[in-house]
Amino acid sequence: MIRAEHVIKTFTRTEKKGRKEDFNAVDDISLTADEGEIVGILGPNGAGKTTLLRMLANLLEPTRGSVTVETQAGVLSNPVEIKKNIGYLSGNTKLYGRLSVREMLTLFGGIYGIADDEIDQRVDEVVDVLHMEEFVDNRIEKLSTGQTQRASIARCLVHQPDIYIFDEPTLGLDIISSAAIIEFMKSEKEKGKTIIYSTHYMEEAEYLCDRIIMMNHGKLICNASPEELKRRTGTANMREAFYMIIEKEGMAYENESL
Amino acid sequence: MKTKAFKLLLKKELLDVFRDKKAIIMMVLVPILLYPLIFFGSMAVMTMIQSNMEEGEYKVAIVASDDGALKSAVEKHNENAKVEAREKAETESTDQGNSSDDSVSQKNSASTSANGIATDVLTLVDAPSGDYQEALQNEELDAYVTSSKDSSGKTVYEVYYVSSITNSSYAAGIVRDVVDELSREESKEKIQAAGLDADVIMNPVVYESEDLASSEQSAGSILGMILPFLLVLSLLMGTMYPAIDVTAGEKERGTLETLLTLPVSNREIIFSKFFTVAIIGIISALLNIVSIAFMGIYMIRLMGDAMDSMGISFAGIDIGKFIPAIIFTVLAILAFSLFISAVTMCITSLAKSYKEANNYITPLMLVVMLTGYIGFIPNIELTHTMALVPVANICLMIKNLLLFKVEYKLVAVVLMSNVLYAIVAVLILSRIYDSENVLFDEGKFSLKLFERRSNMKKGGVPTTGDAWFMVVFVMFAYLYLGSVLEMKYGFGGIFGIQMIIFVLPLLYVLYTKRSILQTYSFRKTKLMNFVAALFMGCGTMLIGIILTSFVSMLFPTEAEMVSSGLMNELMSDNELLTFAVVALTPAICEEMLFRGFLFSAFRGRYKIVVSVLLTAVIFGVYHMSIVRFFTTALLGAALAVIVYYSDSIFPAMMMHAINNGIAVLQMYHPDTMENVFPLFAVEEPGIMESIVVSTMGILLLAAGVAMFKILQKKKEML
Repeated sequence: MIRAEHVIKTFTRTEKKGRKEDFNAVDDISLTADEGEIVGILGPNGAGKTTLLRMLANLLEPTRGSVTVETQAGVLSNPVEIKKNIGYLSGNTKLYGRLSVREMLTLFGGIYGIADDEIDQRVDEVVDVLHMEEFVDNRIEKLSTGQTQRASIARCLVHQPDIYIFDEPTLGLDIISSAAIIEFMKSEKEKGKTIIYSTHYMEEAEYLCDRIIMMNHGKLICNASPEELKRRTGTANMREAFYMIIEKEGMAYENESL
Repeated sequence: MKTKAFKLLLKKELLDVFRDKKAIIMMVLVPILLYPLIFFGSMAVMTMIQSNMEEGEYKVAIVASDDGALKSAVEKHNENAKVEAREKAETESTDQGNSSDDSVSQKNSASTSANGIATDVLTLVDAPSGDYQEALQNEELDAYVTSSKDSSGKTVYEVYYVSSITNSSYAAGIVRDVVDELSREESKEKIQAAGLDADVIMNPVVYESEDLASSEQSAGSILGMILPFLLVLSLLMGTMYPAIDVTAGEKERGTLETLLTLPVSNREIIFSKFFTVAIIGIISALLNIVSIAFMGIYMIRLMGDAMDSMGISFAGIDIGKFIPAIIFTVLAILAFSLFISAVTMCITSLAKSYKEANNYITPLMLVVMLTGYIGFIPNIELTHTMALVPVANICLMIKNLLLFKVEYKLVAVVLMSNVLYAIVAVLILSRIYDSENVLFDEGKFSLKLFERRSNMKKGGVPTTGDAWFMVVFVMFAYLYLGSVLEMKYGFGGIFGIQMIIFVLPLLYVLYTKRSILQTYSFRKTKLMNFVAALFMGCGTMLIGIILTSFVSMLFPTEAEMVSSGLMNELMSDNELLTFAVVALTPAICEEMLFRGFLFSAFRGRYKIVVSVLLTAVIFGVYHMSIVRFFTTALLGAALAVIVYYSDSIFPAMMMHAINNGIAVLQMYHPDTMENVFPLFAVEEPGIMESIVVSTMGILLLAAGVAMFKILQKKKEML
């Protein structure tokens, strides 16, 4: 289980006339994702989704608030220990092109703490699950986009984390590659893993997620199951529900500033 | 630090860098190919020069009805030259097996013999048309000689040649040698005819010398100049590429975030990168040494004889004596590679891409290279102070080791200081890597100039990177162009300097598509802001007077020079012109650079206090005088505060013009000024005067600031 409590991330941006101004990219968000749950994070560009996911993955330190991970071993708050239990994937986590898939998995597995005598077996398992036999010994820079994405997933699961954090994992992939990722998330959920992921594809979120968290301007504006969202907004699908909520929120935001 | 994770990280970094073709080329091919290329290249150039000397045959005409003494002397010279050339060629062809090197040495021996006397052949000719001068200019003739007798009966041979033609001046030199030899021969004959011992009379005093330097010392002195420089340079070149690759390169390839997902501490990441760079640096330095050693051995074998004749002998060198030097040189390489790796990484990790990193690293390269030249300068010793200067200390230490001048205490200081600097640099590096800005932000440090122009977004103010670049650029232009302008055009040159300050930043702003209005704070402002600026400005000027007199007490000679120098420079015959150039132009141009370009850029990144201080210090430094530094920095700070509060550059421009204008008025009308503004005319104030004037200054300053604050509050209320 992963939990964020009142996390705030403040960045500084340059306003007109060269004045500096602080703004909260993530503004006081609390959330929990349990075992066997897929939580989808939705929101327009610039809503703060990536910043939130980076804080959950302990890549960024919250300005205020805390992120904790609870495993069978107990509550973890040390970043290094948390990272051991997380598989993080985003558009910015590129792979080392000059290494082969096998080299990368072996090195990363070792760094994640897999024992030397188990690592080869573990890599073989991962290669088997993701059907990477034909290119596992090729350099990553030589792989196709789909193959690279599979190698990226392999990197996330080589250490068997309890929690997956994916930032727009299906962005720019063809239907077959994204279907593979969607199926992967589903099967991991069934194994009791926790999955938090952001996306712009409403149908995908509706199909996959147990819970949807919507963000706008760094704030959490709703946290409910897809069904509940549709019921509350009186819409037939997630796309309409999304528009409705963001629109309402947008108006509220403008009212606030007036 | 967990050792296993660290080892694996290091392995990953090394594997990553070693798989890169560019890194391998820089590391292996450059040292292996560079030195042979330099060597054979210079040999080829030398050969070309030699062969262009027309194989050492010069056409000389003797225009004289003389007794033929010179002619026979020339023939004798030619005879000797041929014999010597033949002997030389024979000895060398038995020494050398390689035929291609043979041709090189034969050409060498054609021009000079082993003891350095010219052995070129002079061919006696008649000038074709009889016009000798024309023949000389047409290069049909290399020189001609006339002879005459002077009043005392001496024979005078006069050589005509053209110094701008290499062969001609060379031929003249040989003729001189021949005439000298002839003169000696004739003296000898005359002395002997008188029944005296010619040798004793002609050479009554003889010079002899013996070099007590051992072969090792001679070899060491040569190596000591070249080796440190090559080592330092090769280490820098060796570390540069991997440093860029593991920092900026990683950001460019987008693997940095992947790396950060791993359960490792920042320190482990930094150390693995740092050691990767250091290891590659060391490998490339060692390869360089091996390459230099092979070239050295080859060169010694090839040019051994020539070296012998110069008094340098490599025969019988006891390599054993160099063992301490070799051990400490290797230690020095290790220490220096740690240092240079950390420093290059600090710089490259500020960049987002290869290209940017390359640009950042260029100044470092220049500094290291220039400092590395220290080994070539004689008489610079490794002192306790020198032992602390990075780069220079390593060069001097290796030089000393090779000269067998070893003071182990200093060697320890050098090694330790390098390690210490490396640690400091690594600490800085870990701060850079901790800062989320550098990792995830677009990086405000970046230089806009090196981006593609089509990628530049319109509007906004320059970055701090742009600001520092501009500071350096303008300073250089100001120092070099400025002094030239001033020397050539005097008063007009001062205007020229202002134009540099005006035009360079403006071009930069236009090229990088920054907003002119924002960068230069060209905004309308309330009249009251000008009044507040006037208060602040007057206060600053009063404090400035006291500050100047105080600094003048500390640096009396400097102060005298500055004030008389300024008077000379700045006064012209036309008072209005002086006013325009000294008061108005700087008020516009300097304000636009300092309180416009630089201050706006700094405010985009730093807190307001830091921005004001930076602007002030740079403004002070720019005036290039320790005496004027404090007053100008104070003025700079006040002007920056005025821009900050009034949100416009115009009040600052006005105040700058008034400040400089008062100085102009004081130069032209000192008496009137003293009557009208007694406070501004205070010179060498006493304690009471100082207290009164500075209190008034502070009060005025405070009043100005208070006015600004009230104005700001009013604005906020609206």
